[in-house]
Amino acid sequence: MSDSIISVEHLHKVFGELEVLKDISFTVAPGEVVCVIGPSGSGKSTLLRCLNKLETTQGGEITVLGQKLHEVKNINAYRENIGMVFQHFNLFPNYTVKENVTLAPVMLKKMTKAEAEKKAHELLELVGLDSKADVYPVTLSGGQKQRVAIARALAMNPKIMLFDEPTSALDPEMVGEVLDVMKKLASEGMTMVVVTHEMGFAREVANRVIFMEDGYIVEENTPEEMFKNPKSERCRKFLSSVL
Amino acid sequence: MADYFSMFIKYLPRLLGGLRMTILIAIFGLLIAVILGVFLCILSISGKKVLVKIANFYITIIRGTPLMILALFLYFGVIKDSLPLVMSASLILGLNASAFMAEIFRAGIQAIDYGQMEAARSLGLSYGQTMRKIILPQAFKIMIPSLMNQFISSIKDTAILSAISVNELTMVAKTIIARNFKAFEIYSYAAIIYIVVITALTFLSKYVERRLAYDKR
Repeated sequence: MSDSIISVEHLHKVFGELEVLKDISFTVAPGEVVCVIGPSGSGKSTLLRCLNKLETTQGGEITVLGQKLHEVKNINAYRENIGMVFQHFNLFPNYTVKENVTLAPVMLKKMTKAEAEKKAHELLELVGLDSKADVYPVTLSGGQKQRVAIARALAMNPKIMLFDEPTSALDPEMVGEVLDVMKKLASEGMTMVVVTHEMGFAREVANRVIFMEDGYIVEENTPEEMFKNPKSERCRKFLSSVL
Repeated sequence: MADYFSMFIKYLPRLLGGLRMTILIAIFGLLIAVILGVFLCILSISGKKVLVKIANFYITIIRGTPLMILALFLYFGVIKDSLPLVMSASLILGLNASAFMAEIFRAGIQAIDYGQMEAARSLGLSYGQTMRKIILPQAFKIMIPSLMNQFISSIKDTAILSAISVNELTMVAKTIIARNFKAFEIYSYAAIIYIVVITALTFLSKYVERRLAYDKR
């Protein structure tokens, strides 16, 4: 597919003896929201991390925005186009909320300080936290931290957003506020790849759901089809245990 | 009691002269230790096997040697008359402290959650930018108490350098006692001066720690 924004072909990844990704191929079209589900240890997070080279790969090819990852000379410039949100937020505790958001664009000379601050306020407004701009992350709740982390990733104007189990470390009552922000983002046409255990979110927001197990993509379908009548036995078992 | 104080006043100028030397050696020694320590720390976290081994070897040798032996060996066995005494003393103190500094730096950096590195790199920051803006500021805060301990140890360790006849506080005290045999009084004066200096340093460290307290609610 030439119009895909992410294309992964025969991806192979090992950690020492452990084969985490065996033969992964899929594509993502611009503006598409793809949710990756599956049991723990199936390789979902590793797959996501391979996309912006937080993990090295041993075989196959990843193409993002027309660039083949193994031909990329400047990995930092490549990563600017890909925002990432982590399970454990990873906000910078030594900077205020606003500084967390403005740090990268200013440092990488994408914006002047004034532009970055204006943008930061817009983004913090978007995630509903502009009132917290000048506090340090330690004072925020988990859900608030994750919303700031989303704003921080968006500050670089990425073309793609990767979410690595963004709600897994949150109290149940805070999951909603983070998912709401992600829904807003999806509705604005952001290309998103989301590793998640939130089946409700996948069903409601995803254009496509990928079910992974044991280093393979077992099934790939629209959420309606996937959740109504999964084709494979393994996917059916997984879904019946989590739904 | 009155005698004790009047004697203190009498010998204070000479003891303070010794203190000046103590502080001079401590400052230069710690400067050398910080520079060498940073260099060794870079080797240890480089991930290159050879470099890590070199750093470990140096640290093992220095940490395993008593400062007294290091001082006597280096001064009488290696340096001899090739350097002024103050420089020799600073160098010996610096070499000794550098091994401990390197470990403090390494531990501080490695205490920072790796997620910080990943988050910064995923935004497009380079390794160097991430180190400078994200990792090192946080690591430094963690290091302060251990660094302060090392500073205090090194300041007190200057006393050992009286073994190579540097005219620092302890040496001055010894010299005075050799004349008047007032060991109780003179050594206690020296002790008081050390305590005052080190307490002042402790206050400074607490102040710096408070200034960097971004993780207090």
